[in-house]
Amino acid sequence: MHIPDGYLSPATCATMGAAMVPVWLTAAQRVKRVVKSRYVPLLALAAAYSFMVMMFNVPIPDGTTAHAVGAVLIAVLLGPWAACIAVSVALLIQALFFGDGGVLAYGANAFNMAFVMPFVGYGVYRLTAGRSPLLSTRRAVAAAAGSYVGINAAALCAAVEFGLQPELFHTADGTPLYAPFHLSQTIPAMALAHLTVAGFVDAALTLAIVTYIQRANPALLRINHADLDPAIPRTPRRLGWGWAAAGIATMVLLAPLGLLAPGGAFGEGAPASLDLGKYGLSAIPAGLGRYADWWNHALLGGYGFAGGRHEVLGYVLSALVGIAAISLVVLALAAALGITRTRRGRERAPAGAP
Amino acid sequence: MSRRPPDAPEWLLTPEIGLCPCCCVGRRRRGSFVDKTVAGAANILREAMCNDEVAGRSGLLQRLDARAKLVSLLALLLAASLAHQVVILAALYAGTLILARASRLGLAFFVRRVWLFVPVFTGVIVIPAMFSFVTPGRIVVPIGDGWGLTEQGLAGAALIVARVATSVSLVVLLTLTTRWIDLLSSLRALRVPPVFVLVIGMAHRYVFALTTAVDEMFTARKARSIGPRGGARADRAFVAASAGALFGKAHALSEDVHQAMVARAYRGTPRTLSRTRLNSADLAWVGVCAATAILAVMGDRALGA
Repeated sequence: MHIPDGYLSPATCATMGAAMVPVWLTAAQRVKRVVKSRYVPLLALAAAYSFMVMMFNVPIPDGTTAHAVGAVLIAVLLGPWAACIAVSVALLIQALFFGDGGVLAYGANAFNMAFVMPFVGYGVYRLTAGRSPLLSTRRAVAAAAGSYVGINAAALCAAVEFGLQPELFHTADGTPLYAPFHLSQTIPAMALAHLTVAGFVDAALTLAIVTYIQRANPALLRINHADLDPAIPRTPRRLGWGWAAAGIATMVLLAPLGLLAPGGAFGEGAPASLDLGKYGLSAIPAGLGRYADWWNHALLGGYGFAGGRHEVLGYVLSALVGIAAISLVVLALAAALGITRTRRGRERAPAGAP
Repeated sequence: MSRRPPDAPEWLLTPEIGLCPCCCVGRRRRGSFVDKTVAGAANILREAMCNDEVAGRSGLLQRLDARAKLVSLLALLLAASLAHQVVILAALYAGTLILARASRLGLAFFVRRVWLFVPVFTGVIVIPAMFSFVTPGRIVVPIGDGWGLTEQGLAGAALIVARVATSVSLVVLLTLTTRWIDLLSSLRALRVPPVFVLVIGMAHRYVFALTTAVDEMFTARKARSIGPRGGARADRAFVAASAGALFGKAHALSEDVHQAMVARAYRGTPRTLSRTRLNSADLAWVGVCAATAILAVMGDRALGA
């Protein structure tokens, strides 16, 4: 999956590199806060370890080689932010010192293998493992499942990066300037290779390594799971605000995808745009005609400004206003029903208790 | 007939592979991936030693400052990446050959190193792209009914092979002529935060420590086993156990290193020695490379028009 120089256009490389800068800075802050001054040697050794895991090469039939990336394994052992830095450093060493993977394409490689892979894989791991005990089989299987999904997500990203090249960069007569394969070819090729071979290589290695560590050196698992004692099952924890915000943010980011879908939503158009013949009507029903427009004081009518000016800005602003309004209503309802007050009261109780 | 000690057991006399690298002793077996890992580990160490030897020769690029080389490499890589004409890429590639010669790399060695890589990773990927079912266009070499090699496919393939070969040559030139410690310090010239540079440097250092550890584990395993191995399943279990044990070693090592750093007054902020100044030759080199890159891109656009 290491993309060499020459396959991606400089614009793609620059975009991916720019996307990684905030990730790296956040990762450095997060890791530094958790492990203090210990983080330099810890990350250095994690990066060296990540480099070693990538040495296990398996040739696959399409001519490239699949290798265990181990990003999800490191995310399980040290957390996803540490894994992000460790894999990034390993990729940089490979690109600069060993010529494996491109120097200009470094941002794209880091995005796929040091960002998408550990975070997607770790998410799947957390969801699958739940609050199971540290030494349970479920946890090892969850790590393997995370590896499988993580490497496939990374491969999908690589396939999209490859596949966009001939669409975006070609000469007037259709000669591809960078990677020549289209999305319809890169996605199946990468998916086939990674769903069948590389995914299982990574998952099997992760499963075996986590099982070994559970058996031989469980203390290592506690580095990233300090809150999980192997003996005592924990009570389920409340989901924090952060998770809710992350979920909402994801939905907000994905929402514009709806604009790509053809057609409109049934029953949401103005009466004038109704296809009367389709419903066996000869005229707009009188009640519909009368009440459809009785409220015409909307602040952002049609999800935009009046007169259709600044279309994109209006759309985004509508979205933000909508989210803020709904959040306020929900908070007000929660306050009215006493949900937040009860919780705060319970938290305060031990401090005030005699 | 060879002499045979009377009391020696049979297994001690059976030749085992691995005693001699040329396989003149013992039977030739397909190497398992355990053996391949050992070979890979040895290869990393050998390559690093070889690089240091080449970087120590007195050639043109070896005399230049690493920062100047890194910046000029990026400029030329960008130019190669922006170029859309095979002629321009061929000219840039010829330039790398001249530089390799001037840096006493040995042309055969340099060309082999680049072209061993290019067909493996690029040739196989590019070949299907020449056909009309991937890159539609004017068919110049008809093979079957209505399909064959297209002009656009061939042009695209030539372009990508030329670009990959040029890019790989440029990176190989940099890595072969620069000691890694200089290369590392040159990262600071790109405004990489010192903490990252420290992590990268230590990671590079410990790659070799861990490689040695892997090598020792696998060699010890080989030394302990007699007769045929337990099959692929046992090998896989062994690889997983080694990787797991390696993580334990790496973590213990990181704790030791941290304590050693703290004992030497490390308090969370890395400190570096004062930088060396770029001399006029380095600046001239950056100027020449930047001019070459700009000329290449302008020439490319002119040819394209």
